[in-house]
Amino acid sequence: MDHPNILDIAKRIRHSIIELACVSQGPHVGTALSCADILTTLYFQVMRLDDWESRDIGILSKGHAAMALYATLAEKGIIDKELLKGYCLNDGTLPAHLDRFSAKGVEVSAGSLGHGFNIGLGMAYGFKKRELDRRVFVVIGDGESQEGSIWEGALFAPTMGLDNFTVIVDYNNLQGYGRPNDICSFHPFAEKWQAFGWHTVEVDGHDHVALQRAMNEPTAGKPRAVIAHTTKGKGVPFMEDQLVWHYYIVTEEIRKQSLEALR
Amino acid sequence: MRNAFIDTVIEECLRRDDIFIISGDAGLGVFDEFGKQRPDRFLNLGVAEQNAIGCAAGMALAGFRVYVYNIVPFVLYRCYEQVRNDICYQQLPVTLVGIGSGFSYAPMGMTHYSVEDLGVAQTLPNLRVFSPADPTEAEASARFTLAGSEPTYVRLAKRGEPRVHLDALPDVTRPIQLAEGRDVALVFHGTVVGEVLEAHRILGEMGVSAKVISLPLINPCPIDQLDEMLEGIGQVVTIEEHFVDSGLGCRLALWSAANRPNWRLSRMGIKPEYVHAVKKQEGMRAHYSLTSAHIASHVRSLLVKN
Repeated sequence: MDHPNILDIAKRIRHSIIELACVSQGPHVGTALSCADILTTLYFQVMRLDDWESRDIGILSKGHAAMALYATLAEKGIIDKELLKGYCLNDGTLPAHLDRFSAKGVEVSAGSLGHGFNIGLGMAYGFKKRELDRRVFVVIGDGESQEGSIWEGALFAPTMGLDNFTVIVDYNNLQGYGRPNDICSFHPFAEKWQAFGWHTVEVDGHDHVALQRAMNEPTAGKPRAVIAHTTKGKGVPFMEDQLVWHYYIVTEEIRKQSLEALR
Repeated sequence: MRNAFIDTVIEECLRRDDIFIISGDAGLGVFDEFGKQRPDRFLNLGVAEQNAIGCAAGMALAGFRVYVYNIVPFVLYRCYEQVRNDICYQQLPVTLVGIGSGFSYAPMGMTHYSVEDLGVAQTLPNLRVFSPADPTEAEASARFTLAGSEPTYVRLAKRGEPRVHLDALPDVTRPIQLAEGRDVALVFHGTVVGEVLEAHRILGEMGVSAKVISLPLINPCPIDQLDEMLEGIGQVVTIEEHFVDSGLGCRLALWSAANRPNWRLSRMGIKPEYVHAVKKQEGMRAHYSLTSAHIASHVRSLLVKN
């Protein structure tokens, strides 16, 4: 089912991300923008969050995109918007990488890549063993997919019977210092997950309808991998697909330009 | 001692529903029966240590008390960052059961020795660390972890170690006195206990009265209680099958420098180096001057000097 306001919600989340990046004068705005639609779809259209005790779990394994998660949690009303004001500041509230003790909805502490994915696998397995009908959704980066731990987990998940587990790869095709496939032999990518025994789907990672369909379709008992093709810096035309916005700072001037250009 | 620990956990797991055991393709025969009895509470996560620790953390978040069983390098070294970020930082009820303390596995080679694990483990806030001396201390450590919910690392040897304590221990978190003495205190942890007790006997024949204290809990170290037990003792000697510059002795040296500058402390342990000698455990102890004879003669020389 399409959410009538989903595009507006995603836009408000992007707006928050730009504000957070500006106030904190911190990096990673591009990576946060690239996964904004994925998180919007997850938190507003896919995950069951009404009964908090039995909620589905969302994990941002690419913890350097924390701004995107904070903005989404605030938009969803899981955390107070006031908390955002202390993002990445001296005597602040929310760190630039995730600390599960910092706020409700931050399920897992993450910042070093290749951790949240495996923790998510363990949670999904734990829910199975406790016979709980809870699902786990983990967002990882394409650069993060170079971590050995990802492929250790990818090998084991099908054997562990984790049909309640979904990994969404935010495939923005730009890691910190270049294109993944220039840095290592990355391609073919989706085929790797398929060969490891995952139900694998490739989608446009900014298409909410396609994302939602991919996250809900049956997987015949397999864990699910959604390869979401995205654009780094998505929504701010001059940031889109530009490597520099992994680290560049959003100045006051850039903030104004970004918010004006935001689409 | 590994069986004393694991059997205690398994026994409890048959009664409780919230315990889960993960092995990393290790422990031949240890889990055969248990795997059949509770297949839904045991998983072999193979030769993939980063994933095993990450999964253990996830299972803890899903409500389980998790035990990860493997040789020491595979619960602490290979996956150090997972232990740091996933378990300790997140304060999860996961117990890392490490087998092969010190030179237990000699002469398997340096890759299989655990001679710096306490140094590594002590860098991790929130991590409770046990180094039992015998099956009784191992069993008591297991019971302690079953009652608690903190991240814990337990340093075990292998199997077949003799029982030193014949009765159950009232409290495994306190220093345990094995022999009374007044001239010198021998403070140790782990399975070097046999050498220490024999050294105590040799010293006795020489007319030296040595107090012997086992310290199964390394972190948080019960130093205040130890300090009380050491009252009136002029010379303290720490003995451990561990690198001498990063284990218990080092810890006590730091503490005494700030709090008991008049302590005379001598540390016995393994010289920090990559071990190329091919020897069994007793040969390694001789090579690194950790036999009862070495301990006795070292203590004697200290007392003469004093």
